Amino acid sequence: MRHLHGKTISVVFISLLFATVLNANSVDLSGYARTYAGALLRGDNDYIIQNTFNLNIEHSRDKVAFKANPYIYHYPNLELDIGLREAYMDIYFNTVDIRIGKQQVIWGKADGVFITDIVSPKDLSEFLLRDFDEIRMGITSVKLDYYLGDNTFEIVWAPIFTSTQMPDENSIWRPEMDFPMAPVFDNSKKDVDMNIKNSEVFVKYSRISSVIDFEIMGGYMWDDDPAMHITKKINPQNNQLTGITVTPRHHRLGVGGGSFTSTVGPLVLRGEGAFYYGKYFNSEDMTLVDGVIEKNYIHYLAGVDFTVRDIHFSTQFVQQAILDYDEQIKNDQFENTITAMAFRDFLRETLRLELFSYIGLNNYDALVRPKITYKLTDGFTLLLGANLFVGSEGNFGQYDENDMIYLKVRYDF
Amino acid sequence: MSIKKLNLVLMAILIALPSMIFSQEKLTGLQIIQKVYDRPTGKDQNGELVMSLINSRGNQRVRKIKQFVKDFGNMEKKIMFFTSPADVNNTSFMNWSYNEKGKDDDQWIYLPALKKVKRISSDSKSDYFMGSDFTYDDLGDRHPASDKHKLLREEKFNGEDCYVIESIPNEEEYMYSRTVTWIVKDKWIGQKKEFYDEDGEHLKTLSVKKYEKIKDYWILLDSEMHNVQKDHTTKMELSNVKVDTGIPASKFTERMMKRGI
Repeated sequence: MRHLHGKTISVVFISLLFATVLNANSVDLSGYARTYAGALLRGDNDYIIQNTFNLNIEHSRDKVAFKANPYIYHYPNLELDIGLREAYMDIYFNTVDIRIGKQQVIWGKADGVFITDIVSPKDLSEFLLRDFDEIRMGITSVKLDYYLGDNTFEIVWAPIFTSTQMPDENSIWRPEMDFPMAPVFDNSKKDVDMNIKNSEVFVKYSRISSVIDFEIMGGYMWDDDPAMHITKKINPQNNQLTGITVTPRHHRLGVGGGSFTSTVGPLVLRGEGAFYYGKYFNSEDMTLVDGVIEKNYIHYLAGVDFTVRDIHFSTQFVQQAILDYDEQIKNDQFENTITAMAFRDFLRETLRLELFSYIGLNNYDALVRPKITYKLTDGFTLLLGANLFVGSEGNFGQYDENDMIYLKVRYDF
Repeated sequence: MSIKKLNLVLMAILIALPSMIFSQEKLTGLQIIQKVYDRPTGKDQNGELVMSLINSRGNQRVRKIKQFVKDFGNMEKKIMFFTSPADVNNTSFMNWSYNEKGKDDDQWIYLPALKKVKRISSDSKSDYFMGSDFTYDDLGDRHPASDKHKLLREEKFNGEDCYVIESIPNEEEYMYSRTVTWIVKDKWIGQKKEFYDEDGEHLKTLSVKKYEKIKDYWILLDSEMHNVQKDHTTKMELSNVKVDTGIPASKFTERMMKRGI
């Protein structure tokens, strides 16, 4: 968790004050307050209470606009977690829009899967359980969109690299790391220096039409997830392993891909895929220098949405395939996942029953998320849900001890 | 006027009169519905829509929408920006509907929480729009060829001379077994419409409360849909209506869905 600093308080305080003063000049304020209480179903039934305040401050004039999105997470007995999810300015021309500042950039057609949606890194502090607008992190960048009818050309230049936000060391969401002994972390190479040479560039062409909507994209970026370079200490006398040092380091990654969506009668079809060039995978071969192997891989999905008897279904098959596979790589050559969602609205859309699930086919593990959402009145929502992890290993099974139920109460304004 | 000219005029009237009378009598249910369908509403239109959902206990929920519509000749594009309640603020919806019979609408929704424009299926025309008493199909222009129309009678309704038309859908599985519409003569505007469910029971009634001539077009402003089976009502009030202002085609794009009003 990012802790509260005096400087941060000042920035937020000034932002809020600024917003309040400007309110008289038609600054739009919107957002929500939310209380979230969750309890683990196993062990000591540990519980979490989180209070959130999320504010959107927006103002626009004819050709310009700005938005700031400060947020506060409050956990009892812990310091406040305060930040700016977004803070940017827009300049609108006839056929060009330019957005400058910290912003979330969302690409692709997939739901809940990140294939071409790789511009904004992820906040995995609570694995994939936060709402999607909270998982996506803003990046400081310049985005330019050029419009030609229903065609859009977009370029994003990010001079400052932002990596995936991983859970704290003591968090129950910290992913498993499989080492023969407790490693020592050397974070000296974790950061990417701020200079022009280290910036990231993403381009996209997209079109919507009566027949099909599609996107074609490319990126020259840093891998948001650091490769874990491993140095071993071996006692020369008995050849025994005496220590492991893990050095996280980000590497350059090239990405090219696309996505589409189209309707065929009552079906909405979608597909998305990307080729990733130069990904570092960890190896199981402890004798290998650095413990990593560089490979290319592809990641793609096919999905369909449909409705039967007022129940809306959405399902996707996702595959990640490592090319020119080496048996020493820890990851499977093919990793297959299914996502499935079903929901139905009742009582004039005030009550929704929903079930969302990730199902890992390699390890027969899953994350199952049933939810009941009830709108007590407009803008006031009660949500009762559960996060159930199935299996004992894999992306979801590793959190088998973290099954939980939760209640969220949210007030939108 | 000379006698000869007068005779010619009288002859012309005598020739034309029966055909005029005949043509008025001859209007069929389909022709009347076609005239309603073809009634000009301008090349483009924008306005603010307030939708009030009122349940049997009188509790009210209000949705506010800013909408823009433009006729592109062979298709009509509509974009709606939801401004209230707070939890749907900045959501937008775009619909492209086609004159070509049988061609489905194309629809997209922009959800600000996902920051993504999603294509959705327009197949669920029987779904209720935002929990109201209007289905998506009720809000669209149903093609006259989709139903068989019959002129039941002519009568005065709300002080206006009306045709009463019964429409029975060609599609067997359609959500209504029949509808009955009161259409104001010469204005070609529906005053009232009764909807009957699949069992033939009266389901709901649409009543037009207010319409005005804006520029040269009759525009429906206030209407009310009452579900008699559930005793639930939805009021639709359209205000600040502007017609033929020259809304650019670029208003009906993904760019505008994301940017908002």
